[in-house]
Amino acid sequence: MAETTARRPGRGLSWRQFRAILRKDIVMELRTKEMITSMGIYALLTMVVYQIALSQAGTAFDPRTIAAGLLWLAFVFTSMLGLNRSLVHEKDQGCLEALLLSPVDRPVIFFAKAIGNMIFLLIVQVLTIPVFAFLFLQGSEYGGQLWMIPVALLGGAVGIAGVGTLLATMSVNTKGKDFVLAVLFIPLMYPLLLACVSATTAAVLGGDGHVQQFWSGMGLIAAYDAIMVLAAYALYEFVLGA
Amino acid sequence: MKQLRVALVMLVIGGLLTTVAFVMAFTTAEVQRFGTVTLSERIDTAFPLQEVTADGYRYERPWFSQKIFYFHVPVAEASFLVFGVAAFFAIRFLMTKRKEYDTKSRIAMETAIVFVTLTMITGILWTRAAWGVWWEWEPRLTTYFIMTLMMIGYFVLRNSIEDEERRAVYASVFGIIAFINAPISFFITRLIPSNHPVVFQSGFATSNLVPFILGQIGMLLVGYAIYSIRMNEERLEERVEIMKEALEG
Repeated sequence: MAETTARRPGRGLSWRQFRAILRKDIVMELRTKEMITSMGIYALLTMVVYQIALSQAGTAFDPRTIAAGLLWLAFVFTSMLGLNRSLVHEKDQGCLEALLLSPVDRPVIFFAKAIGNMIFLLIVQVLTIPVFAFLFLQGSEYGGQLWMIPVALLGGAVGIAGVGTLLATMSVNTKGKDFVLAVLFIPLMYPLLLACVSATTAAVLGGDGHVQQFWSGMGLIAAYDAIMVLAAYALYEFVLGA
Repeated sequence: MKQLRVALVMLVIGGLLTTVAFVMAFTTAEVQRFGTVTLSERIDTAFPLQEVTADGYRYERPWFSQKIFYFHVPVAEASFLVFGVAAFFAIRFLMTKRKEYDTKSRIAMETAIVFVTLTMITGILWTRAAWGVWWEWEPRLTTYFIMTLMMIGYFVLRNSIEDEERRAVYASVFGIIAFINAPISFFITRLIPSNHPVVFQSGFATSNLVPFILGQIGMLLVGYAIYSIRMNEERLEERVEIMKEALEG
């Protein structure tokens, strides 16, 4: 904390550092297109697996009832892939070490990485939803209000990126890497995903009390995001220091 | 050595208290009867089918399985407490970076896993007896399951890091964030309808309360004893390591 007060004169500095790290991630992605392609293709493959899972469900089955669950499932797996990549790059190319050597506040690193991850996740979400709707929801009616979906997506992405960045930073330094990430990530994500699925299902199905169900889900998402991202932010400094 | 002796005494007292509570639960404790329950289909249970009505099958609600309460609840409460202790030592470690706190945190987490396993086993037996199913995705069960997974994750994380200091920091960070996550899971699972009983709301006869409290104290003593004995072992191991190094050098 003393550091931040000492640097008061250059108040815009943190902001510039934040933008620089974020820009680095985006420029790298624009050049290699590695994360978006791998996450996108992975999401597409997940759809194929869903088709296999639902192939015997019959015509009476209404896919809308599980649409939200399937979507969030796809996002969880793609986000794990993306998070892992995002920090493996940092580590393999020695970028994280260079960042730590440079006079950048640790919280700035956390927020820049987390926002970067969130942007990529949001892009994948926006690309996946039409494909999902095209493949599984043709002819189904959309029940709720359209603005509900992006709100729920954003709420979920904040939590996934915030906590995920912390966990991925730890898991890239372990022997198990992506396996360790999955073991730590999924139980911690459980409450968030449950609330996201509840809110998104309310939006997809509509009907009596769906607005209330949506907002109670969003309330829980907001609470989770606030508490867990704050905790991740507070603990990130220790992880970087180790 | 003194600490080990204290721990052993506590283990014996704790074991005795738990045994007394167990015996009392079946002898002096008032039998809790819950009336009947109507199920839509016939189930395979030890409890007598009273009659078949238009609504379904009416069973006497199981009262015998209630006896597990004197074991299950103390173990479950002890598990939360020990998990809290582990998180507390994790915070202490991050504040001081002293290795002993990391060891304490790890041993507390090990103890917690013992209790969590016991809670899961007794809980699953009870669910089968009382609800007729082995497992249900019900808030408390789900939360507890998630907590167990996080504890397993804690040890997976520990085992996949070689550098000692890094292992300690990462494990502490995960221990803390897992402990924050547990109550959140508990609240969020309210989105699933629950039928886990809340015993203390309905009031409690003294003859039930005494064995319960004895069981609770007994279980906490056992928990402390397990923790101390493991700590003692850990210290001895450290001493052996130091001696080995001294001899080699």
